Amino acid sequence: MKRAFISVLFFSISMLFVAAQPAFEGPPPSSVPVLDPVKRRAEYQARVKEIINWAAEGGQAKTDDPAKLDLAMIAAKIVLREDMPGCSQRVINLMSEPGTGPFWMFPTVCIAYLGRDHLTPEALASIRTAWRTTRQLRGDTENHFAMYYISLYLMAELYPNEPAESWYSGKTSAENLAEARSYLINWMDLATTVGQGEFNPTHYIGEYVIPLQFLANWAKDPEMKKRGAMMLDWLFAELAANTLNGVLRGPNARTDEGSTIERWQAMASYFSWLLFGNTPSTAGYGGWGLYFAPLAANYEVPEVIYRIATDRAGDYLQRDRARTRRFWRYSDELSPPVYKTNYLRRDYAVGSTRGGLLDVIQAHVWDVTWAESDPRGKHNTMFSLHPFSSMWAMQSMFVTYPEPMIKAVAFEGKPSYDSPDKIMGSSPYERVCQDLDTVIALYDIPADTRFPHINGFFSKDLVNLSEDPSGWIFAQGGQTYLAYRPLAPYHWEKYLHHSSGWAKVRRDLGGRLLVSPHLKNGTIVQAASASEFKNFAAFKAAINALPLTFRLEPTPSVQFTSLRGKKLAFTFDQDPTVNGRAIDYAKWKLFEGPYLNSELNSRKLTITHGKLERVLDFNTLTVTDRVK
Amino acid sequence: MNTKTPAFILFGLLALRSLAAAAPAYDFFVCANINRNYVIGSKIVTTNGIFQRDAAGEWQHLGYNDTGISALAFDPRDRNVIYTTGLNGLWRSLDGGKLWRMCNDWTMTEARDVAVDPHAPDHVYLALPDGVAFSSDRAQTLVRRENGLPARGKYTQVLQIDRTRVGRVLAGCELGVYLTEDAALHWRQVLPTKEMVFDLQQSPHDPLVWLAVTQSAGAWRSVDGGQTWKQLAAVPTTHPLYNITFDVTNPQRLAIGSWGLGALTSEDGGQTWINRNAGLPAPHRVWRVGVDPAGQLYASVVAETLFVSADFGRTWKPDSLAGSLVNKFLIQPKSAQ
Repeated sequence: MKRAFISVLFFSISMLFVAAQPAFEGPPPSSVPVLDPVKRRAEYQARVKEIINWAAEGGQAKTDDPAKLDLAMIAAKIVLREDMPGCSQRVINLMSEPGTGPFWMFPTVCIAYLGRDHLTPEALASIRTAWRTTRQLRGDTENHFAMYYISLYLMAELYPNEPAESWYSGKTSAENLAEARSYLINWMDLATTVGQGEFNPTHYIGEYVIPLQFLANWAKDPEMKKRGAMMLDWLFAELAANTLNGVLRGPNARTDEGSTIERWQAMASYFSWLLFGNTPSTAGYGGWGLYFAPLAANYEVPEVIYRIATDRAGDYLQRDRARTRRFWRYSDELSPPVYKTNYLRRDYAVGSTRGGLLDVIQAHVWDVTWAESDPRGKHNTMFSLHPFSSMWAMQSMFVTYPEPMIKAVAFEGKPSYDSPDKIMGSSPYERVCQDLDTVIALYDIPADTRFPHINGFFSKDLVNLSEDPSGWIFAQGGQTYLAYRPLAPYHWEKYLHHSSGWAKVRRDLGGRLLVSPHLKNGTIVQAASASEFKNFAAFKAAINALPLTFRLEPTPSVQFTSLRGKKLAFTFDQDPTVNGRAIDYAKWKLFEGPYLNSELNSRKLTITHGKLERVLDFNTLTVTDRVK
Repeated sequence: MNTKTPAFILFGLLALRSLAAAAPAYDFFVCANINRNYVIGSKIVTTNGIFQRDAAGEWQHLGYNDTGISALAFDPRDRNVIYTTGLNGLWRSLDGGKLWRMCNDWTMTEARDVAVDPHAPDHVYLALPDGVAFSSDRAQTLVRRENGLPARGKYTQVLQIDRTRVGRVLAGCELGVYLTEDAALHWRQVLPTKEMVFDLQQSPHDPLVWLAVTQSAGAWRSVDGGQTWKQLAAVPTTHPLYNITFDVTNPQRLAIGSWGLGALTSEDGGQTWINRNAGLPAPHRVWRVGVDPAGQLYASVVAETLFVSADFGRTWKPDSLAGSLVNKFLIQPKSAQ
């Protein structure tokens, strides 16, 4: 009995050890930038080692039983050269039931390359065989195509000169290689001239940077290798410039409910932790993020990018462009431009697009996100939206009949899509303007729309919330004072959270929704640092003193003088004016701000921090560093 | 030819002729998705794809187990040459489905339909969400042929080739029906619509007669080979009409599948229509209807299964292809092979 107890105790302790994830479970990392490059590199490598060890010891499965390894665990074991016979056998077993698309392809590419000199020939052959026998679906999104074509490219390079019948595609190695190369160059061209369609994704960043890292490391063609490395820098520079202490905030082309309210809860946080060390990692190292780790030691985040993420001298405004998802039909343009405004300060950040339909399901249009010393579990954000659900919108972006789409989307991991109380998604009936830390969102919603109201998200983590007789709602989040002005009557409802993925259970996480059932509507949000005011009452008084006039009929329109003294005038579907001058979006560059700059269509990004500068030039495929 | 033909050969030829006359002139295929819970990346655990109805009334699986086949076509000279469309675009097999080639590159995706010109069987037409592609070499290479299609609004759901003339094709698009008479070199609009044209069919009895069904503008009929169109007044415009079919055994019989209206049939050439949902599960969401060479009517009901009717919709029973959702019914003249 005693021996049995000791065995259980030992097992429990070992399981605790196996499951330990210091980056997720430990105290938040220091926000002080590490300026010594040797120390910074050592800390980075320690983080990489933590991931590899965790995955090799069993990862989420909490077991290192070879029969239960997944490909991420096998990848880690290959890095550590642990149990190669067991790994080889497991690969053979896994390849006997191959998957059917890009989420299966890139992990197998990872094993095929990592295991080249370590797994048995039979194991490597089993991967190759699966790439012959099993038709691989290319998917229908930008991230699907990136994963698919990088995987195909690398496998075609790994197995050159092989005949068409040896590939699921029925094309020769050379044909596969040429097609993949052509797509990847075209995608990079688009991203570096007019921006990404899936811009600032909270989770899908991994679906880009992981295969790009494979390309940067394993491509034989020096050009493609270089392109992979440069795109990594490009995407990580965007991540650095759009995070607040490592936490990616809105707007986002694609996100989910979890990371919309708990901003840290995103794979982007894993990459911030790994690269910048300035926020905790998410649980399980982002899941897919495990596939970045085996090659992570080969990557060194450029200091200029590191410094943008961790060492900001002051407030900054960044204005960028991107693209919407493809509209196959019912749109004058295939992929209209998106205009992003981001204003970041020490205590908070404000970000937005101009509204309208972006991604039909998963877009997040605007928010104010405040800094938290430990963001885990904090719902550190405020925003409003029109909960848009539409078969027509589905039909415009998907190649299917519209009628069954809503149910299908809810089944395929987006359960909130058709909920009136959802907190994610863009709407054709929303227009947004932002100036620094002021946001005006206007809504002009047709009477026959599915959900004829707007939702404002009020976090459980707000304090000092009060509904002022003036019509403003005041609250404090972290060290940020927030003023929220609904432009039409409203009521409060409990916010019930849709867990992402396939979970159908809804949870009360403590937040509330401001629900305003009026078709002509609007929201004004003004943020400020607590340190700017003597106290909260002073902030309220300042807000109440700001000139504000608005009308909702026939078209919502606002004139508001912001806390920063700017006279903002904004009417639904018209360009806003600031101090009497219309914002000329047509003149916006691809990136414009103190850190990231790129002319539209230039294929060239200048990354700047203080005297540090790195230029990524896709015209010449050169990277130029200098100290100014 | 030798005029003195041996008697046993004459007997044999007569026997063969007799058999040929007795056999149905068509084969019947479906593209069926049985694994309805499939999402990209997961393992496929059921058998999906192309099925052919055999003489015993059983479905025989052909080709590849793909959950997303939206359409198929054959080379009329050689039944081993198969084309299918799906998420990746266009797939082609030259050996009866053993080996497949993805014919398009990344510039084409999510193909909706494929058609082979019976008078120029190397000519393959591909319907895409952003237009039309053409091949003159059995889809070894594909090129865009969209001159005359609108810059926006050319989402193409369906392509039907006029079996009477080479290079004459009708396309059902976002903004109407378009016609080419020169193998897609030029297109012109012959029926404008504000929303999608979901299906087009040429009558097996009279090649001048064509039918079209739409998302919101009801059903249309042409009696001049698709040059002009007239609305079928008796077909409601209240719900989307997903497809329409003729009955090869009876020129007066037509059927429509609709989300909301279910199965509609006409037995007077389209003058009057009857709701034939009695015996089908509610709500009435019919993804596709089809008629086999024996005149049996099929209805693929969303989230249910395939149903079959021996009396053109008066009574229904579940078909043996259990749990299926049919993306396409294809009735094909029997080929030499």
